[in-house]
Amino acid sequence: MAHIKVTRRSMRPEEWISLRFGWLKRYIYSEKHEISSFKIKDARQISEMNFEFYDGGEFRPLNKGDMYFTPDGTAFIEADYELPEHLEGKKYCFLLKTAAEMIVKVNGVYVGGIDPNRERLDLSPYVEGRNLHFEIMGYNRSKPDDERNPESLSVRGCRQIFEGGYIAVVNEAVQSLVYDLEMLLDAALSEVFNEDFSALVIREIDSALNLIDFDDVRDDDIRAASEYIDKNIFSNKDYKGSGRVALIAHSHLDIAYYWRRIHAVQKNLRTVLIQLRLMDKYPDFRYAHTQAYTYETVEKYYPEIFEELKKKIAEGRFEPVGAMYVEPDCNIPSCESLIRQCLYGQSYFREKFGITVNNCWLPDVFGNSWILPQILRKSGVDYFVSNKMSTWNDTNRFPHNNFIWRGIDGTDVYACVPPTHFISWNMPSQIQENWDAYQDKNEGGQTMQMFGYGDGGSGATEEMIELMHRFEKLSVMPETEHITAKEFLSKNFDGNEALSVWDGELYLEMHRGTFTTKSKLKEYNRKLEFMLRDAELISTMRMIEGEDYPAEKLRNIYKKLMINQFHDILPGSHITPVYRDAMADYEEMEKELSEIIGNSGEYYNTLNFTRSNLTFIPDENGDIVRNGEKGFFAVPDIEGLSNGEIIREEAEPDWIMIDGLKAETPFYSIEFAPDGSIISLKDKELCREWVKGDFNKLKMYHDTPGNYDAWDILPDYKDRPCEMKLEKELEFVSVGGECAEFAACFATEKSKWKMIIRLFRRSKGIEIEHVVDWNEKHKLVKAEYGCNVLSRELVCDTSAGKITRETHRNTSWQQARFEVCHHKWCDMAEQGGGVALINSGKYGVSAEGSVMALSLLRSTIRPDPTSDMGEHDFCYMIYPHAGDAVAAKINEKAFEYNIPLRKADIEAALPDFSPLWLQAVKLSENGRYAVIRLCEQNGERGEIELPVEATVLNLIEDEIGMTDKISYSPYEIITLGVEI
Amino acid sequence: MEEYINGYIRPRLQGDGGEITFVKQEGDEVTVLLQGECSKCLILDRCLSWIEQRAEADRGEKIKVIGIRKKPYFQDV
Repeated sequence: MAHIKVTRRSMRPEEWISLRFGWLKRYIYSEKHEISSFKIKDARQISEMNFEFYDGGEFRPLNKGDMYFTPDGTAFIEADYELPEHLEGKKYCFLLKTAAEMIVKVNGVYVGGIDPNRERLDLSPYVEGRNLHFEIMGYNRSKPDDERNPESLSVRGCRQIFEGGYIAVVNEAVQSLVYDLEMLLDAALSEVFNEDFSALVIREIDSALNLIDFDDVRDDDIRAASEYIDKNIFSNKDYKGSGRVALIAHSHLDIAYYWRRIHAVQKNLRTVLIQLRLMDKYPDFRYAHTQAYTYETVEKYYPEIFEELKKKIAEGRFEPVGAMYVEPDCNIPSCESLIRQCLYGQSYFREKFGITVNNCWLPDVFGNSWILPQILRKSGVDYFVSNKMSTWNDTNRFPHNNFIWRGIDGTDVYACVPPTHFISWNMPSQIQENWDAYQDKNEGGQTMQMFGYGDGGSGATEEMIELMHRFEKLSVMPETEHITAKEFLSKNFDGNEALSVWDGELYLEMHRGTFTTKSKLKEYNRKLEFMLRDAELISTMRMIEGEDYPAEKLRNIYKKLMINQFHDILPGSHITPVYRDAMADYEEMEKELSEIIGNSGEYYNTLNFTRSNLTFIPDENGDIVRNGEKGFFAVPDIEGLSNGEIIREEAEPDWIMIDGLKAETPFYSIEFAPDGSIISLKDKELCREWVKGDFNKLKMYHDTPGNYDAWDILPDYKDRPCEMKLEKELEFVSVGGECAEFAACFATEKSKWKMIIRLFRRSKGIEIEHVVDWNEKHKLVKAEYGCNVLSRELVCDTSAGKITRETHRNTSWQQARFEVCHHKWCDMAEQGGGVALINSGKYGVSAEGSVMALSLLRSTIRPDPTSDMGEHDFCYMIYPHAGDAVAAKINEKAFEYNIPLRKADIEAALPDFSPLWLQAVKLSENGRYAVIRLCEQNGERGEIELPVEATVLNLIEDEIGMTDKISYSPYEIITLGVEI
Repeated sequence: MEEYINGYIRPRLQGDGGEITFVKQEGDEVTVLLQGECSKCLILDRCLSWIEQRAEADRGEKIKVIGIRKKPYFQDV
C-alpha cells in the first residue's frame, strides 16, 4: 500500500499566533505624521570627514518611493517640519525605516541613530518647540552591519527606495505587549526550553490574543491581553530554569572590512550615540566599547558627543574595555607591536578618562599568540576575553570558557572565551544556549553573554533592553544579571582557585588562510615593524647626542601601523579599497621612517650583536638584482650598535664548481632537478644528506574553502594538486665572488613564476627568490621541504620566543593544526642538526612528519576579487645547521636577514645586553626616560650586570622599582628606563 | 566608455564589496561583468540603471548597461 505523507493544511496554533502578532505590530504607532519636505544630496566619502558630491552638491527633493543612495555612497538629507500643535509637550519619535546607517541631528542636537536594526528614535526629550530642522547623514552599502539579522539581509543593496520619514507616537501598551510576545515566542518556539513549558506558552498566548478584536483594536483589549499573560504565564513558576548568565552589552566594530577605515568614524559615532541615547532612557543600562582609536575619532570629529561620553564613562555606565589601541590580529603582529597596542591604548584611556583598562577584549580575532599573557599582565591587564575559539573551531571543542591562560613564559592571565557568539540580540533562547554550552558551570561562576548587533557597530537596541527587563518573569530561564565587563570579570575570576589552566597558544581551528592572504600586507608589516624599531633606536641615540627626538612623528607612525594591524586588515579579509588604503599607508610610513633614519654616513648595525652573516647590501654598482634592487652580498662584521664599513671582497668565482644540474660549493654537494627542487644536498662539514623527498619543490593546489574564502584553507587541500608547468628548466645564471645564481621558470595559462636559487661562498644559507606575475583564482602555492631529519616537532618563532608544534597527526588536536602561524623562522631538527626556513614576511607554514611547507601565495575572491593579483617578489632562506635552532643561532640569523644595515653616524653607545634581544629603544611617553626593552628569546635563564642603575618599568611605562642587575628567565620581557 | 567603467564606476562598486569590469560596447549597449557582492545582489537592476544615469550626466551618453553576473563558486547555484 502506497504511503502518502499527510501535510496539515489547516493553520497551526503557532501560525495563527504569528499572523495575529504581525497584525498587532501594525498598532505600535498610534499616530504617524509624514514629513514631506525631505531633500537629499548624494556624495561619496573620500576621507574621514570629507565628501565628494555628485551633481554639484545640490539638494534635490526626496519623496516617498524615490530611489536614494549610490554605490559606496553617503547621503546628506535635510527636512524642515512643523510639529502638530497637539504633540507639543507630548512624547513623540522620529520614524524612518531604512537599510542605511543614519546619524540624526534635529535643531543642532545629535538625537540618535537609525539603521536596519532600529527604525525610530525618541525626539521629544531632545528638542523644544514645534519647528524641527532635520540633518541626517546616511551611509549605505551592499553588506549590512550584521548578516545575522535577517531583516538587514533582506534590504541589502546599493540603491534603496525611500520609504518616508514620520513623526510618530508610540502606543506604549501595544509596544509592551509586543515585547512580551517577542520574548515568549522566542522561548516557546526555540526548542531549547522544556516542551511542556512551550506548550503552555503557546496555549496561553493564543488565549491572550483571543481577547483582542483585530477588526477594532482597542487599548482596553491590549491591556486585558497583557494582564492575561501576566496572570497565566509570568505568574506560573512551575517551570524552573537553572544557570547564571551575565549580560554585557557590546557592539563589535570592525575598523575596516566591507567598508573603509574612513567610514568607521561615522559607524562608530552612530554606535556610540545610539548607546548614549539608550542610557538616557534606561538608567540601568551599561555598555562596553573597545578600541582607543575609536574614542580618538569621536574626540577629534564630534567633541560634543565626546563630552557626553566622558560623563557616562565617569558614571561607570559607558565602559571602555580592551586595553589595546585597536583590536589587532594576534597572530601576525610582533611582540613589540602587541605591546604598543597596549601602550597607546592604555595611555589614551588614562589621559582622557583617568582609567587603566584591566581587560583585553578581542571577541573576533583569529587565534591568539602564546606571547600575549605576559604582554597583557605587564600592561595592567588581568583578564583576557575572546570568543572565536568556542564558536568557530572546526575540529575540536575548546574545553574551557572561564579559565586561566598560561603564556609562553609562565605568566597567567584570567581568560574568558564565552561559549557563544559575540553578536546576539538578547533572546531567551540565546541565553539558554550559552548556559547549555558553558563548560565551566561548576568552577567558573557566571557565563558571559554579550548582546548587541555588531561587526559594523550598531549595538544594543531598545528591544534588547526591554526583553532583559522581562527575563526575571520567565521562570524557565537561567538567572541573568546585566553588569559591566569589569564587574563580571572581577566577580567570577578574582581569587577563583578552581579554574582550569590552559598552557599553550589559543590556536583558532579556522581562518588558517589569513597567515598568507594578501602577501604584500604581511611583507610590508614585517618590514615596517623593524624599520620603526630602528627609527626609534637611532632617534634615541641621536637624542643622547643632543638632537630632538621626533616623539609625535614616531607615535603617529606607530599608531598608523597599529590601525593596519586590525584583524580584518592585516589578515587580508577585506574589500579592495581597504587593501589600497593599507598599501598607501605603508608607503607613506616607509617614506617618513626613511626620512627619520636618514641615509648618510657609515653603516650602522642596529642589532645588539655582531653581524656575522652574509648580508645583501643595496648598491647601484652591485652585481646582483634582488627584490628588484641592485646590490652585492658581503659579510659586514660590524659589532652590535656600532658603525662600520662594508668591505666588498673581490673573490674569484672559482669557489663553486657547476656541472649541469650539479654544484659543489664550500659547504655542499648539490644536485638539482630541472624544476629547481633539490634532489640531494650533502653537507660537507657535517657529512650528511639533508634531503628526503621533495625539497624546495613548488606545489600548487586548488584552494576553494567556500564562503570564507580569504580566511580559510581546507584540511584536504593537498588532495587537489594542480600543475604549474615548468617552462624553462633550471639553469646556471651567473656567479660572482660571493654568490651563484640559478633560475627556473614556471607558467600556467595566466601566471608566470620565476624561481631564483642563490648559493653562497661564505654562507650555509641557500636563498630562494620568487618573482611572480600572479593571475590565478582559487590556488594556493607552497614550497615544500622534505628533510632528512627524524623530528616530530616543528619549532616556530613567535617573535618573543619559540613554540613547538607536533608534526604527527595522532589526535584531532594535531590534525587540526595542519597550517600554523610562525614569524621569522621555523625549524625541524634532530639531535645532530636540522633545517631552518628563515623568511622575510611569510607567516603560514604546514608541517607533517619531516616535511615543512611554506605557504607562498593564495588567490582568493571574497571579500576581494582582486586579492593578491599582480606582481610579487619575495625571498627566504633555507638554512641547514648543526645542533638545534638555539645552538645554531637561527633567531639571530633571522634578525640579520630581516633587519638591514642602516646608514647613520651614531656616536652614542649602549651596552649590548647580550644574550637578550634588544627589542626596542625609545623615549618614554612622559619624556623622562630612554626606554630599553629586552626580550629573552631562547628559553634561557641568567643575569646581566647593568653599567648604571636603571628604573624597572612595565610595558605601559609605569615605574616598578630600581635595579643595577637583570635576572632574566625564559622568554621574559624586561623594560628598563634610563633617566635622560 | 571602458575607461569610464573601469576608472570611475569600478572604485565605487568596489567600495561596496562589488566588482565591475567592462566587457564590450556595441552601439549604445555596454556589457559589464559583475563579481563580488554585485554578482549576488537582489536589486542589481537599480545599480545598473544608476550607471546609465551617471554615464548620461557625466558623459552625455545614453547607454543601456547589460550585466553579466559571475557568482563566486560557492554561491553559484
